[in-house]
Amino acid sequence: MRVILLTGKGGVGKTSHAIATALGAAAHRHRVFLLSADPAHSLGDALGRRVGARPVAIAEGVVAREVAVLDELDRSWSEIQRWLRGLLREDTDEVLAEELLVFPGLEELMALRAVREVEATGDFDVCVVDCAPTGATLRMLRFPDALRIFMENFFDLERRGARLLRPLMERVRAAGVVPRDEFFEAIERLYGEVEDVRQILMDGDRTTARLVVNPARVVVEETRRSFAYLSLYGVATDAVVVNRLLPAEAAGGYLARWAERERGELDSIQASFPIPQFRAPLYPRELRGIEDLAGLARDVFGDRDPAEVFMHTRPIRLRKHAGRTRLEADLPGISKEEIEVTTRGSDLIVRVRNASRLIALPASVRGRPIRKARLHDGVLEVDFG
Amino acid sequence: MRVVLYTGKGGVGKTTTAAATAVHAARSGRSTLVASADSAHSLGDVLERRLGPRPSHLAPNLDALEVDTPSETQRHWGAVRDYLISLLRYQGIEEVVAEELALLPGAEEITTLLAVEAYAREGGYDFAVVDCAPTDSALRLLTLPEVARGAFRVLLRVQGALASIVTPLARNLIPVPLPESEVFRDAEHLLFRKLRRLRDFVGDRRTSVRLVVTPERMVIDEARRAHTDLALFELPCDAVVMNRLLPPAAAEEDFFRDWARLQLERLVEVEELFAPLPVLTAPLQDDEVTGLDRLAEHADRLFGAIEPDAVLSTAPRIRFEAEDGGYRVEVPLPHAGSGDLDVAKIDDELVIGTGTRRRSLLLPRRIAHLELSQAKLGGDLLVVHFTAAPGGR
Repeated sequence: MRVILLTGKGGVGKTSHAIATALGAAAHRHRVFLLSADPAHSLGDALGRRVGARPVAIAEGVVAREVAVLDELDRSWSEIQRWLRGLLREDTDEVLAEELLVFPGLEELMALRAVREVEATGDFDVCVVDCAPTGATLRMLRFPDALRIFMENFFDLERRGARLLRPLMERVRAAGVVPRDEFFEAIERLYGEVEDVRQILMDGDRTTARLVVNPARVVVEETRRSFAYLSLYGVATDAVVVNRLLPAEAAGGYLARWAERERGELDSIQASFPIPQFRAPLYPRELRGIEDLAGLARDVFGDRDPAEVFMHTRPIRLRKHAGRTRLEADLPGISKEEIEVTTRGSDLIVRVRNASRLIALPASVRGRPIRKARLHDGVLEVDFG
Repeated sequence: MRVVLYTGKGGVGKTTTAAATAVHAARSGRSTLVASADSAHSLGDVLERRLGPRPSHLAPNLDALEVDTPSETQRHWGAVRDYLISLLRYQGIEEVVAEELALLPGAEEITTLLAVEAYAREGGYDFAVVDCAPTDSALRLLTLPEVARGAFRVLLRVQGALASIVTPLARNLIPVPLPESEVFRDAEHLLFRKLRRLRDFVGDRRTSVRLVVTPERMVIDEARRAHTDLALFELPCDAVVMNRLLPPAAAEEDFFRDWARLQLERLVEVEELFAPLPVLTAPLQDDEVTGLDRLAEHADRLFGAIEPDAVLSTAPRIRFEAEDGGYRVEVPLPHAGSGDLDVAKIDDELVIGTGTRRRSLLLPRRIAHLELSQAKLGGDLLVVHFTAAPGGR
């Protein structure tokens, strides 16, 4: 199943383009599932109808749903909640247990778990995801790494500790503090699911991100950084969609100066995003409902199939270079000073500004020291000794 | 001190509006602080000045800052965090990773708000204007002081149990560093003093939220939901700001004519929807609004004769009232649909969910022992009736 993630700064038009992409793909006879992963759901607002947590057909060939994180948690992790509730009982603060579980990034990740479920049905060819604004999306991508580390280093110890502590705590009537075995099983299950999601996300042959931007300086600046971070987390971006370009008939009058600024921003978008570009004009009205958004899809994609992978890339890859294994990572628009590379055990740690990524190394270079790391034309090259 | 927090969907012009409000107030003689609490800061760009994490003086009566969330988190939450990091590092986890893992949910939001509150209070300003993150994170930020109270209580219980009961015995059993008393001191301090202060700051009668919108359906829809959720947590809104209305000069152009008409319909609709909140309007400018002078002009158009620091409307609060055979609780919930509402009494709390957010309200003792007999939404008011349990006291 093809997975397309629509992301970008808040307010740029992600939701409209997610719906347009879904409708465009359906017009090419794909069976499409449209998923909203933005906690501030606006699919319903853009469609002018209610879309809820249950899948609902919104157009020929398109089924949509919004992921409600509290419900998801209710559904799958009652065990984790039970533990937290146990802690809270004396304070009669039941609702809180749910709030507590909403870790940054977890909420978005829950939505992606839904992608897995869509795939499992076998009924869909394409899944279009209306993601949260970039900041939250990047937090989500960071989560699987953090969880993996937790599982590898900490989890067994915690579990052993819990077994040791439980009889003791029961004696002092504080048993609720030590989680039951089921709690750990629930965490393990979560880990398995997150791993699956990670596999889907990093498979550049079927999963790609699309960045929606407006021709405005602050938007372009922020999106440039997101582009590099997506790549750092191993997610391929196959297109950028420039939304709300002033059309020629509106560029001469009152908004002439805006039009001029836009031309400058278009140049900078061209230079910053060396990937296929699509454009959508500013419409002199609101786009709302199926008909409007299907029209948007035609304006953006013409005859092309929006489900196509417009560019095949593998943002992080291994290749042989002079007989040695070399790791390459695309980090467009990032300068040497912003990157830090170290190894730890079987992982390579790449830190870009305040984001860091752990890349599990293959056996051939695992445990080897870094011989050389350099940045060449937006590509980080790491050679091992 | 008067406090105004601006929020709204991404890209609607929150930062420009916050900066314009502050410049206008400063020029009319109020000593003013404008602070950006959005981690993607653009306040400095709008003011055309490089801003730091502490107030910098920009003009007479005008200071500005952009909160440095990572270092504020360290300042307020340092000992607890350091402990978590040491615990993780002890497991052989790299510092970089430990730092990420030790980020507690909500800790960043809390410390951002703490920083704004602290600088505003220390500076003795008349007026603090806060440029918040987009609606969803802003709501998280504003409702957290209440939610976090419970979260930290849990943390304390866990750690307290570990330290007082288990520590002496467990030192031999589990090879992990155990928290020092300093960790508890920090957590307690945060729990009992700082959070209370935040609650006071956000809940003060002189603190209001202003919702920023553009004349677009999706933006308005999101603002409506935010208005409901803010009311649920008794965070009063005192105005709506509508940005980017096409001015007559543009509306005359062919391309914009129908659009301008549609915008006016949206404006009327917003005025009706959000009444009695006043709707302040600002035109789409012919160029970027940056720098103090252009911001002052922008504020003139936005506020006209209105004082930017005035409380422009007062919101009703939750009321408890005795009625025949029991009590009624009135919860103002503008724009709420009964389909999304979830009302329940759990032990001594009234739990209300709006689909996106839930609040648990501690009931006064005289109501806590009664039973929830009926909950009804009429207009913008949720009325919950409590009567004595059959066979109860």
